[in-house]
Amino acid sequence: MIDPQRATLVEAAAALAQGALSSEELTRDCLARAHRLNPALNCFIRIEDEAALAAARRADAARAAGRTLGPLHGVPVAVKDMFDDPGRETSSGSPIRRGFRGAATATALARLEAAGAVVLGALHMSEFALGPTGHNAFYGPCRNPWNPAHIAGGSSSGAGAAVAARLAFGALGSDSGGSIRLPAAANGILGLKPTYGRVPRSGAMPLSWSIDHIGPLARSAADLARLLGVVAGHDPRDPSASRRPVPDYAAGLGSGVAGLTLGVPRGVFRDGVAAEVERALEAALATLEAAGARRVAVTVPGAEHLAELGRVILYSEAAALHGHWLRTRPEDYSPQVRARLATGLAIPAAAYAEALQLRAPLLRRFCDAVFAACDVLVTPALAIEVPTLAATDVGSGASMWSTIAQLVRCLAPFNYLGVPALSVPVGFTANGLPVALQLVGRPFAEATLLGVAAAYQRLTGWHERLPPLH
Amino acid sequence: MTDRDAAALDAATVAALARLMGYAPLDAPAAARVAAGAASAVAAVRASAAAPLGDAEPGSFLAELERLAGPAP
Repeated sequence: MIDPQRATLVEAAAALAQGALSSEELTRDCLARAHRLNPALNCFIRIEDEAALAAARRADAARAAGRTLGPLHGVPVAVKDMFDDPGRETSSGSPIRRGFRGAATATALARLEAAGAVVLGALHMSEFALGPTGHNAFYGPCRNPWNPAHIAGGSSSGAGAAVAARLAFGALGSDSGGSIRLPAAANGILGLKPTYGRVPRSGAMPLSWSIDHIGPLARSAADLARLLGVVAGHDPRDPSASRRPVPDYAAGLGSGVAGLTLGVPRGVFRDGVAAEVERALEAALATLEAAGARRVAVTVPGAEHLAELGRVILYSEAAALHGHWLRTRPEDYSPQVRARLATGLAIPAAAYAEALQLRAPLLRRFCDAVFAACDVLVTPALAIEVPTLAATDVGSGASMWSTIAQLVRCLAPFNYLGVPALSVPVGFTANGLPVALQLVGRPFAEATLLGVAAAYQRLTGWHERLPPLH
Repeated sequence: MTDRDAAALDAATVAALARLMGYAPLDAPAAARVAAGAASAVAAVRASAAAPLGDAEPGSFLAELERLAGPAP
Protein backbone atom coordinates (compact mmCIF):
# COMPACT_ATOMS: atom_id res chain seq x y z
CA MET A 1 0.00 0.00 0.00
CA ILE A 2 1.35 3.42 -0.88
CA ASP A 3 0.98 6.57 1.17
CA PRO A 4 -1.11 8.78 -1.14
CA GLN A 5 0.33 11.88 0.49
CA ARG A 6 3.92 10.86 -0.24
CA ALA A 7 3.61 9.02 -3.55
CA THR A 8 4.38 10.73 -6.83
CA LEU A 9 2.17 10.33 -9.89
CA VAL A 10 4.47 7.67 -11.34
CA GLU A 11 4.52 5.78 -8.03
CA ALA A 12 0.73 5.98 -7.77
CA ALA A 13 0.35 4.66 -11.33
CA ALA A 14 2.69 1.77 -10.51
CA ALA A 15 0.81 0.94 -7.30
CA LEU A 16 -2.47 0.91 -9.21
CA ALA A 17 -0.97 -1.32 -11.92
CA GLN A 18 0.28 -3.75 -9.27
CA GLY A 19 -3.15 -3.89 -7.65
CA ALA A 20 -1.86 -2.44 -4.37
CA LEU A 21 -5.00 -0.32 -4.30
CA SER A 22 -7.87 0.56 -6.59
CA SER A 23 -8.41 3.78 -8.44
CA GLU A 24 -11.66 4.21 -6.53
CA GLU A 25 -9.80 4.02 -3.19
CA LEU A 26 -7.17 6.49 -4.35
CA THR A 27 -9.77 8.83 -5.86
CA ARG A 28 -11.86 8.77 -2.67
CA ASP A 29 -8.75 9.63 -0.66
CA CYS A 30 -7.96 12.61 -2.93
CA LEU A 31 -11.57 13.80 -2.92
CA ALA A 32 -11.79 13.61 0.87
CA ARG A 33 -8.63 15.70 1.24
CA ALA A 34 -9.82 18.12 -1.43
CA HIS A 35 -13.07 18.70 0.48
CA ARG A 36 -11.16 19.06 3.75
CA LEU A 37 -8.60 21.57 2.45
CA ASN A 38 -10.44 23.49 -0.22
CA PRO A 39 -12.09 25.85 2.27
CA ALA A 40 -8.59 26.92 3.37
CA LEU A 41 -6.85 26.88 -0.02
CA ASN A 42 -9.65 27.66 -2.49
CA CYS A 43 -7.72 25.74 -5.14
CA PHE A 44 -10.76 24.06 -6.74
CA ILE A 45 -13.54 25.98 -8.46
CA ARG A 46 -15.47 22.70 -8.65
CA ILE A 47 -14.79 19.30 -7.09
CA GLU A 48 -16.53 16.72 -9.26
CA ASP A 49 -17.08 13.76 -6.94
CA GLU A 50 -19.54 11.80 -9.02
CA ALA A 51 -17.73 12.15 -12.33
CA ALA A 52 -14.37 11.35 -10.73
CA LEU A 53 -15.67 8.27 -8.93
CA ALA A 54 -17.40 7.06 -12.10
CA ALA A 55 -14.13 7.44 -14.03
CA ALA A 56 -12.25 5.63 -11.26
CA ARG A 57 -14.71 2.74 -11.33
CA ARG A 58 -14.36 2.52 -15.12
CA ALA A 59 -10.59 2.40 -14.70
CA ASP A 60 -10.89 -0.37 -12.10
CA ALA A 61 -13.32 -2.33 -14.27
CA ALA A 62 -11.01 -2.07 -17.25
CA ARG A 63 -8.10 -3.30 -15.19
CA ALA A 64 -10.15 -6.17 -13.83
CA ALA A 65 -10.96 -7.11 -17.42
CA GLY A 66 -7.25 -7.12 -18.27
CA ARG A 67 -7.28 -3.88 -20.24
CA THR A 68 -4.82 -1.05 -19.66
CA LEU A 69 -6.15 2.36 -20.56
CA GLY A 70 -2.78 4.08 -20.73
CA PRO A 71 0.08 5.50 -18.70
CA LEU A 72 -2.26 7.39 -16.35
CA HIS A 73 -4.63 4.47 -15.74
CA GLY A 74 -6.71 5.36 -12.69
CA VAL A 75 -4.51 8.24 -11.49
CA PRO A 76 -6.37 11.26 -10.01
CA VAL A 77 -5.41 14.58 -11.61
CA ALA A 78 -7.11 17.95 -12.02
CA VAL A 79 -7.22 20.65 -14.67
CA LYS A 80 -7.31 24.42 -14.74
CA ASP A 81 -10.91 25.52 -15.30
CA MET A 82 -10.38 26.45 -18.94
CA PHE A 83 -10.41 23.19 -20.91
CA ASP A 84 -13.58 22.62 -22.91
CA ASP A 85 -15.66 19.54 -22.19
CA PRO A 86 -19.29 19.14 -23.28
CA GLY A 87 -19.91 17.25 -20.03
CA ARG A 88 -18.50 19.88 -17.69
CA GLU A 89 -18.82 23.59 -17.06
CA THR A 90 -15.75 25.64 -17.83
CA SER A 91 -15.69 29.04 -16.11
CA SER A 92 -12.26 30.39 -17.17
CA GLY A 93 -12.35 32.07 -13.77
CA SER A 94 -14.99 34.54 -14.91
CA PRO A 95 -18.74 34.99 -14.44
CA ILE A 96 -18.98 35.59 -18.18
CA ARG A 97 -18.32 31.90 -18.81
CA ARG A 98 -20.28 30.57 -15.83
CA GLY A 99 -22.28 27.58 -17.07
CA PHE A 100 -20.38 27.45 -20.36
CA ARG A 101 -19.89 24.02 -21.91
CA GLY A 102 -17.56 23.63 -24.86
CA ALA A 103 -18.76 21.91 -28.00
CA ALA A 104 -15.89 19.43 -28.03
CA THR A 105 -13.41 18.23 -25.43
CA ALA A 106 -10.10 20.10 -25.43
CA THR A 107 -7.45 17.91 -27.01
CA ALA A 108 -5.09 17.99 -24.00
CA LEU A 109 -7.91 17.04 -21.63
CA ALA A 110 -9.16 14.33 -23.99
CA ARG A 111 -5.64 12.88 -24.13
CA LEU A 112 -5.39 12.84 -20.32
CA GLU A 113 -8.69 10.99 -20.05
CA ALA A 114 -7.86 8.60 -22.91
CA ALA A 115 -4.64 7.74 -21.02
CA GLY A 116 -6.79 6.69 -18.06
CA ALA A 117 -6.56 9.77 -15.84
CA VAL A 118 -9.35 10.44 -13.36
CA VAL A 119 -10.22 14.14 -13.38
CA LEU A 120 -11.10 15.30 -9.85
CA GLY A 121 -12.43 18.69 -10.84
CA ALA A 122 -11.77 22.17 -12.14
CA LEU A 123 -8.97 24.18 -10.60
CA HIS A 124 -8.93 27.82 -9.55
CA MET A 125 -7.41 30.30 -11.97
CA SER A 126 -7.00 34.02 -12.36
CA GLU A 127 -9.86 35.68 -14.22
CA PHE A 128 -9.39 34.72 -17.88
CA ALA A 129 -5.82 33.69 -17.02
CA LEU A 130 -4.83 37.35 -16.72
CA GLY A 131 -2.94 37.79 -13.49
CA PRO A 132 0.13 36.31 -11.81
CA THR A 133 -1.01 36.27 -8.17
CA GLY A 134 -4.01 33.97 -7.89
CA HIS A 135 -6.33 36.78 -6.86
CA ASN A 136 -9.75 36.45 -8.43
CA ALA A 137 -12.41 39.09 -7.77
CA PHE A 138 -15.24 36.60 -8.40
CA TYR A 139 -13.94 33.34 -6.96
CA GLY A 140 -11.71 34.71 -4.19
CA PRO A 141 -7.98 34.23 -3.90
CA CYS A 142 -6.26 30.87 -4.13
CA ARG A 143 -3.98 30.35 -1.14
CA ASN A 144 -0.54 28.83 -0.78
CA PRO A 145 -0.42 25.53 1.19
CA TRP A 146 2.98 26.49 2.64
CA ASN A 147 1.36 29.56 4.20
CA PRO A 148 -2.18 30.57 3.29
CA ALA A 149 -1.38 34.25 3.83
CA HIS A 150 0.83 34.08 0.72
CA ILE A 151 -0.07 33.92 -2.95
CA ALA A 152 -0.28 30.64 -4.83
CA GLY A 153 0.87 32.44 -7.98
CA GLY A 154 -1.09 32.57 -11.18
CA SER A 155 -2.71 32.20 -13.40
CA SER A 156 -2.75 28.40 -12.89
CA SER A 157 -3.10 29.06 -9.16
CA GLY A 158 -5.22 26.04 -8.26
CA ALA A 159 -2.94 23.71 -10.19
CA GLY A 160 0.06 24.82 -8.13
CA ALA A 161 -1.72 24.71 -4.78
CA ALA A 162 -3.63 21.45 -5.33
CA VAL A 163 -0.61 19.44 -6.47
CA ALA A 164 1.58 20.85 -3.69
CA ALA A 165 -1.10 20.02 -1.09
CA ARG A 166 -1.31 16.44 -2.42
CA LEU A 167 -4.91 16.82 -3.53
CA ALA A 168 -4.05 15.66 -7.07
CA PHE A 169 -1.03 13.81 -8.49
CA GLY A 170 -0.65 16.21 -11.38
CA ALA A 171 -2.43 19.04 -13.14
CA LEU A 172 -2.80 20.72 -16.47
CA GLY A 173 -2.32 24.47 -16.74
CA SER A 174 -1.66 27.19 -19.27
CA ASP A 175 1.20 29.68 -19.54
CA SER A 176 1.11 32.95 -21.50
CA GLY A 177 3.67 34.82 -19.41
CA GLY A 178 4.68 32.46 -16.62
CA SER A 179 1.29 31.06 -15.58
CA ILE A 180 2.49 27.46 -15.17
CA ARG A 181 6.01 28.13 -13.91
CA LEU A 182 5.09 30.80 -11.36
CA PRO A 183 2.48 28.76 -9.43
CA ALA A 184 4.85 25.79 -9.60
CA ALA A 185 7.63 27.93 -8.13
CA ALA A 186 5.44 29.53 -5.46
CA ASN A 187 4.07 26.17 -4.30
CA GLY A 188 7.27 24.10 -4.39
CA ILE A 189 6.43 21.80 -7.31
CA LEU A 190 7.58 21.54 -10.94
CA GLY A 191 5.90 23.23 -13.88
CA LEU A 192 6.77 22.91 -17.55
CA LYS A 193 5.97 25.37 -20.29
CA PRO A 194 6.75 23.27 -23.34
CA THR A 195 7.95 24.59 -26.69
CA TYR A 196 5.32 26.59 -28.59
CA GLY A 197 3.43 24.03 -30.69
CA ARG A 198 4.41 21.00 -28.61
CA VAL A 199 1.04 20.62 -26.81
CA PRO A 200 -2.13 21.39 -28.77
CA ARG A 201 -4.36 24.19 -27.54
CA SER A 202 -7.58 23.24 -29.29
CA GLY A 203 -10.47 23.58 -26.86
CA ALA A 204 -8.39 25.48 -24.30
CA MET A 205 -9.53 29.01 -23.48
CA PRO A 206 -7.39 31.34 -25.59
CA LEU A 207 -5.79 34.41 -24.07
CA SER A 208 -3.26 35.13 -26.81
CA TRP A 209 -3.01 32.64 -29.66
CA SER A 210 0.63 33.52 -30.41
CA ILE A 211 1.83 33.25 -26.82
CA ASP A 212 -0.38 30.63 -25.11
CA HIS A 213 1.19 27.33 -24.07
CA ILE A 214 -0.43 24.32 -22.36
CA GLY A 215 1.63 22.20 -19.98
CA PRO A 216 1.76 20.04 -16.85
CA LEU A 217 2.49 20.69 -13.17
CA ALA A 218 3.60 17.85 -10.90
CA ARG A 219 5.91 16.94 -8.03
CA SER A 220 8.70 15.15 -9.87
CA ALA A 221 10.48 15.31 -13.22
CA ALA A 222 9.33 11.76 -13.91
CA ASP A 223 5.72 12.81 -13.32
CA LEU A 224 6.09 15.71 -15.75
CA ALA A 225 7.67 13.39 -18.33
CA ARG A 226 4.70 11.04 -18.01
CA LEU A 227 2.14 13.83 -18.35
CA LEU A 228 3.93 15.59 -21.21
CA GLY A 229 4.23 12.35 -23.15
CA VAL A 230 0.45 11.98 -22.90
CA VAL A 231 -0.61 15.47 -23.95
CA ALA A 232 2.09 16.35 -26.54
CA GLY A 233 1.83 15.74 -30.26
CA HIS A 234 0.20 16.93 -33.45
CA ASP A 235 -3.49 17.74 -33.50
CA PRO A 236 -5.35 18.41 -36.72
CA ARG A 237 -7.68 20.74 -34.76
CA ASP A 238 -4.79 23.07 -33.88
CA PRO A 239 -2.91 24.60 -36.83
CA SER A 240 -0.16 25.78 -34.48
CA ALA A 241 0.59 22.23 -33.24
CA SER A 242 3.90 20.80 -34.41
CA ARG A 243 4.11 17.58 -36.42
CA ARG A 244 7.45 16.80 -34.83
CA PRO A 245 7.44 13.29 -33.29
CA VAL A 246 7.02 13.07 -29.51
CA PRO A 247 10.05 11.43 -27.88
CA ASP A 248 9.99 9.10 -24.89
CA TYR A 249 10.50 11.76 -22.23
CA ALA A 250 11.12 9.17 -19.51
CA ALA A 251 14.04 7.63 -21.42
CA GLY A 252 16.52 10.38 -20.55
CA LEU A 253 15.58 10.91 -16.93
CA GLY A 254 18.47 8.83 -15.64
CA SER A 255 21.16 10.30 -17.85
CA GLY A 256 22.50 12.77 -15.27
CA VAL A 257 24.22 16.08 -15.87
CA ALA A 258 27.85 15.01 -16.32
CA GLY A 259 29.29 16.86 -19.31
CA LEU A 260 26.33 19.22 -19.56
CA THR A 261 27.03 22.94 -19.72
CA LEU A 262 24.76 25.23 -17.71
CA GLY A 263 24.62 28.86 -18.84
CA VAL A 264 24.02 31.42 -16.12
CA PRO A 265 23.03 34.87 -17.36
CA ARG A 266 23.34 38.06 -15.41
CA GLY A 267 21.62 41.32 -16.25
CA VAL A 268 17.85 41.33 -16.00
CA PHE A 269 17.77 37.71 -14.84
CA ARG A 270 19.90 38.38 -11.75
CA ASP A 271 19.56 42.09 -11.00
CA GLY A 272 17.67 42.70 -7.77
CA VAL A 273 17.21 39.02 -6.97
CA ALA A 274 16.36 38.56 -3.29
CA ALA A 275 19.34 37.44 -1.22
CA GLU A 276 17.72 34.22 -0.07
CA VAL A 277 16.67 33.35 -3.62
CA GLU A 278 20.21 34.06 -4.81
CA ARG A 279 21.66 31.76 -2.15
CA ALA A 280 19.29 28.90 -3.01
CA LEU A 281 20.03 29.31 -6.72
CA GLU A 282 23.79 29.24 -6.12
CA ALA A 283 23.44 26.16 -3.91
CA ALA A 284 21.45 24.39 -6.63
CA LEU A 285 24.06 25.27 -9.23
CA ALA A 286 26.79 23.96 -6.92
CA THR A 287 24.87 20.69 -6.53
CA LEU A 288 24.66 20.29 -10.30
CA GLU A 289 28.34 21.20 -10.72
CA ALA A 290 29.30 18.60 -8.13
CA ALA A 291 27.37 16.08 -10.21
CA GLY A 292 29.49 16.86 -13.26
CA ALA A 293 27.83 19.83 -14.93
CA ARG A 294 29.97 22.74 -16.07
CA ARG A 295 28.89 26.32 -15.40
CA VAL A 296 29.53 29.18 -17.80
CA ALA A 297 28.44 32.79 -17.89
CA VAL A 298 26.24 33.66 -20.86
CA THR A 299 24.66 36.79 -22.25
CA VAL A 300 21.06 36.77 -23.40
CA PRO A 301 20.88 39.28 -26.24
CA GLY A 302 18.17 41.89 -25.87
CA ALA A 303 17.02 40.27 -22.64
CA GLU A 304 15.66 43.51 -21.24
CA HIS A 305 13.03 43.76 -24.01
CA LEU A 306 11.83 40.16 -24.43
CA ALA A 307 9.11 40.24 -21.78
CA GLU A 308 7.74 43.54 -23.08
CA LEU A 309 7.70 42.20 -26.65
CA GLY A 310 5.61 39.31 -25.39
CA ARG A 311 3.25 41.73 -23.66
CA VAL A 312 2.74 43.69 -26.89
CA ILE A 313 1.46 40.50 -28.51
CA LEU A 314 -0.43 39.21 -25.47
CA TYR A 315 -2.35 42.41 -24.77
CA SER A 316 -3.12 43.10 -28.44
CA GLU A 317 -4.52 39.62 -29.01
CA ALA A 318 -6.31 39.48 -25.65
CA ALA A 319 -8.01 42.83 -26.33
CA ALA A 320 -9.21 41.48 -29.66
CA LEU A 321 -10.43 38.20 -28.16
CA HIS A 322 -12.34 40.05 -25.44
CA GLY A 323 -13.55 42.95 -27.60
CA HIS A 324 -17.17 41.82 -27.81
CA TRP A 325 -17.53 41.16 -24.08
CA LEU A 326 -15.68 44.35 -23.18
CA ARG A 327 -18.29 46.27 -25.16
CA THR A 328 -21.33 44.34 -24.02
CA ARG A 329 -20.55 43.04 -20.51
CA PRO A 330 -17.92 45.32 -18.97
CA GLU A 331 -19.49 44.94 -15.54
CA ASP A 332 -18.65 41.23 -15.61
CA TYR A 333 -14.92 41.96 -15.58
CA SER A 334 -13.02 43.03 -12.50
CA PRO A 335 -11.68 46.58 -12.91
CA GLN A 336 -8.10 45.24 -12.83
CA VAL A 337 -8.60 42.75 -15.66
CA ARG A 338 -10.60 45.25 -17.69
CA ALA A 339 -7.71 47.71 -17.40
CA ARG A 340 -5.13 45.07 -18.36
CA LEU A 341 -7.17 44.18 -21.43
CA ALA A 342 -7.42 47.86 -22.30
CA THR A 343 -3.63 47.92 -22.64
CA GLY A 344 -4.15 46.22 -25.98
CA LEU A 345 -6.12 49.23 -27.17
CA ALA A 346 -3.21 51.56 -26.58
CA ILE A 347 -0.68 49.50 -28.53
CA PRO A 348 -0.49 50.58 -32.17
CA ALA A 349 -1.30 47.82 -34.65
CA ALA A 350 2.08 48.40 -36.30
CA ALA A 351 3.86 47.69 -33.00
CA TYR A 352 1.92 44.42 -32.66
CA ALA A 353 2.81 43.39 -36.22
CA GLU A 354 6.44 44.34 -35.69
CA ALA A 355 6.66 42.36 -32.44
CA LEU A 356 5.35 39.32 -34.31
CA GLN A 357 7.71 39.90 -37.20
CA LEU A 358 10.68 40.23 -34.83
CA ARG A 359 9.94 36.95 -33.11
CA ALA A 360 11.74 34.51 -35.44
CA PRO A 361 14.84 36.69 -35.92
CA LEU A 362 15.13 37.24 -32.16
CA LEU A 363 14.66 33.52 -31.54
CA ARG A 364 17.51 32.80 -33.98
CA ARG A 365 19.69 35.39 -32.26
CA PHE A 366 18.86 33.92 -28.83
CA CYS A 367 19.62 30.34 -29.86
CA ASP A 368 22.82 31.32 -31.66
CA ALA A 369 24.13 33.31 -28.72
CA VAL A 370 23.00 31.14 -25.83
CA PHE A 371 23.12 27.57 -27.07
CA ALA A 372 26.49 28.02 -28.73
CA ALA A 373 27.77 28.47 -25.18
CA CYS A 374 25.63 26.10 -23.12
CA ASP A 375 23.12 23.26 -23.22
CA VAL A 376 20.69 24.69 -20.68
CA LEU A 377 20.12 28.24 -19.46
CA VAL A 378 19.55 28.59 -15.70
CA THR A 379 17.74 31.57 -14.14
CA PRO A 380 15.68 32.16 -11.03
CA ALA A 381 12.03 31.27 -11.63
CA LEU A 382 10.82 33.83 -9.13
CA ALA A 383 13.33 36.58 -8.35
CA ILE A 384 11.69 37.64 -5.10
CA GLU A 385 10.33 35.82 -2.07
CA VAL A 386 6.77 34.58 -2.52
CA PRO A 387 4.74 37.67 -1.54
CA THR A 388 1.68 37.79 0.64
CA LEU A 389 -1.84 38.06 -0.73
CA ALA A 390 -2.13 41.40 1.03
CA ALA A 391 0.97 42.84 -0.66
CA THR A 392 -0.41 42.00 -4.09
CA ASP A 393 -4.05 42.86 -3.53
CA VAL A 394 -5.88 45.80 -5.05
CA GLY A 395 -5.51 48.81 -2.80
CA SER A 396 -2.16 47.83 -1.35
CA GLY A 397 -0.59 50.86 -2.99
CA ALA A 398 1.83 51.63 -5.77
CA SER A 399 4.26 48.96 -4.56
CA MET A 400 1.72 46.34 -5.66
CA TRP A 401 2.50 47.03 -9.33
CA SER A 402 6.23 46.68 -8.93
CA THR A 403 5.77 43.45 -6.94
CA ILE A 404 3.52 42.05 -9.65
CA ALA A 405 6.04 43.02 -12.34
CA GLN A 406 8.75 41.19 -10.39
CA LEU A 407 6.75 37.97 -10.36
CA VAL A 408 7.10 37.17 -14.05
CA ARG A 409 10.16 39.06 -15.17
CA CYS A 410 12.33 35.93 -15.47
CA LEU A 411 9.53 33.85 -16.97
CA ALA A 412 7.73 35.93 -19.62
CA PRO A 413 10.72 36.28 -22.00
CA PHE A 414 10.43 32.60 -22.90
CA ASN A 415 6.79 32.82 -23.93
CA TYR A 416 7.84 35.33 -26.56
CA LEU A 417 10.72 33.12 -27.70
CA GLY A 418 8.58 29.95 -27.57
CA VAL A 419 11.39 27.82 -26.12
CA PRO A 420 10.76 25.25 -23.37
CA ALA A 421 11.16 26.37 -19.76
CA LEU A 422 10.85 24.37 -16.55
CA SER A 423 10.47 25.60 -12.98
CA VAL A 424 12.16 23.36 -10.36
CA PRO A 425 11.97 23.81 -6.56
CA VAL A 426 15.40 24.36 -4.97
CA GLY A 427 14.70 25.19 -1.36
CA PHE A 428 12.87 27.52 0.97
CA THR A 429 13.26 31.03 2.29
CA ALA A 430 13.48 31.57 6.05
CA ASN A 431 9.72 32.14 6.21
CA GLY A 432 9.08 28.64 4.84
CA LEU A 433 8.02 29.60 1.33
CA PRO A 434 9.49 27.79 -1.70
CA VAL A 435 12.29 28.99 -3.99
CA ALA A 436 12.70 27.73 -7.56
CA LEU A 437 15.05 27.96 -10.50
CA GLN A 438 14.12 27.93 -14.16
CA LEU A 439 15.76 25.71 -16.78
CA VAL A 440 15.47 26.91 -20.38
CA GLY A 441 16.36 24.81 -23.40
CA ARG A 442 16.56 24.78 -27.17
CA PRO A 443 13.26 24.40 -29.02
CA PHE A 444 11.79 20.93 -28.37
CA ALA A 445 14.54 20.06 -25.84
CA GLU A 446 12.04 19.27 -23.06
CA ALA A 447 13.78 15.91 -22.49
CA THR A 448 17.05 17.67 -21.68
CA LEU A 449 15.36 19.94 -19.12
CA LEU A 450 13.56 17.01 -17.52
CA GLY A 451 16.86 15.11 -17.34
CA VAL A 452 18.51 17.98 -15.44
CA ALA A 453 15.53 18.28 -13.09
CA ALA A 454 15.52 14.53 -12.46
CA ALA A 455 19.24 14.55 -11.69
CA TYR A 456 18.75 17.44 -9.27
CA GLN A 457 15.82 15.71 -7.57
CA ARG A 458 17.87 12.55 -7.07
CA LEU A 459 20.44 14.64 -5.19
CA THR A 460 18.06 16.73 -3.08
CA GLY A 461 14.86 16.21 -1.18
CA TRP A 462 13.07 19.52 -1.59
CA HIS A 463 10.26 17.99 -3.64
CA GLU A 464 9.55 15.42 -0.94
CA ARG A 465 8.67 17.95 1.75
CA LEU A 466 5.02 18.22 2.71
CA PRO A 467 3.46 21.66 3.17
CA PRO A 468 1.73 22.39 6.49
CA LEU A 469 -1.61 22.27 4.69
CA HIS A 470 -1.80 18.84 3.06
CA MET B 1 11.88 53.92 -22.20
CA THR B 2 12.68 57.64 -21.86
CA ASP B 3 10.50 60.20 -20.09
CA ARG B 4 9.67 61.52 -23.53
CA ASP B 5 8.43 58.06 -24.62
CA ALA B 6 6.26 57.83 -21.53
CA ALA B 7 4.82 61.26 -22.20
CA ALA B 8 3.97 60.25 -25.77
CA LEU B 9 0.94 58.37 -24.54
CA ASP B 10 -1.24 59.88 -21.87
CA ALA B 11 -4.31 58.80 -19.97
CA ALA B 12 -6.58 61.03 -22.04
CA THR B 13 -5.46 59.30 -25.25
CA VAL B 14 -6.09 55.89 -23.72
CA ALA B 15 -9.55 57.02 -22.63
CA ALA B 16 -10.23 58.29 -26.15
CA LEU B 17 -9.14 54.98 -27.68
CA ALA B 18 -11.39 53.12 -25.26
CA ARG B 19 -14.33 55.28 -26.33
CA LEU B 20 -13.45 54.73 -30.00
CA MET B 21 -13.58 50.96 -29.48
CA GLY B 22 -16.86 51.20 -27.59
CA TYR B 23 -15.40 50.11 -24.24
CA ALA B 24 -16.69 51.26 -20.90
CA PRO B 25 -14.72 54.25 -19.56
CA LEU B 26 -11.60 53.59 -17.50
CA ASP B 27 -10.99 55.59 -14.37
CA ALA B 28 -8.10 58.05 -14.51
CA PRO B 29 -5.56 56.02 -12.47
CA ALA B 30 -6.28 52.90 -14.57
CA ALA B 31 -5.96 54.87 -17.81
CA ALA B 32 -2.63 56.29 -16.59
CA ARG B 33 -1.34 52.79 -15.77
CA VAL B 34 -2.47 51.54 -19.17
CA ALA B 35 -0.71 54.45 -20.87
CA ALA B 36 2.53 53.75 -19.01
CA GLY B 37 2.37 50.01 -19.68
CA ALA B 38 1.60 50.41 -23.36
CA ALA B 39 4.31 53.06 -23.83
CA SER B 40 6.87 50.80 -22.21
CA ALA B 41 5.85 47.83 -24.36
CA VAL B 42 5.96 49.82 -27.57
CA ALA B 43 9.38 51.24 -26.62
CA ALA B 44 10.66 47.64 -26.42
CA VAL B 45 9.53 47.03 -29.99
CA ARG B 46 11.32 50.15 -31.16
CA ALA B 47 14.49 49.19 -29.32
CA SER B 48 14.48 45.65 -30.70
CA ALA B 49 14.02 46.46 -34.36
CA ALA B 50 17.67 47.04 -35.19
CA ALA B 51 17.37 46.41 -38.93
CA PRO B 52 14.68 46.33 -41.62
CA LEU B 53 12.57 43.23 -41.19
CA GLY B 54 12.04 42.77 -44.91
CA ASP B 55 10.06 39.65 -45.67
CA ALA B 56 10.10 38.21 -42.13
CA GLU B 57 6.83 36.28 -42.02
CA PRO B 58 5.29 35.80 -38.53
CA GLY B 59 3.57 32.63 -39.73
CA SER B 60 6.95 30.93 -40.06
CA PHE B 61 7.64 31.02 -36.31
CA LEU B 62 6.75 27.36 -35.66
CA ALA B 63 8.88 26.27 -38.63
CA GLU B 64 11.75 28.30 -37.20
CA LEU B 65 11.40 26.58 -33.82
CA GLU B 66 11.45 23.20 -35.56
CA ARG B 67 14.48 24.15 -37.66
CA LEU B 68 16.43 25.38 -34.63
CA ALA B 69 15.62 22.20 -32.72
CA GLY B 70 17.72 20.10 -35.05
CA PRO B 71 16.82 16.60 -36.24
CA ALA B 72 13.78 14.96 -34.67
CA PRO B 73 14.45 11.95 -32.41
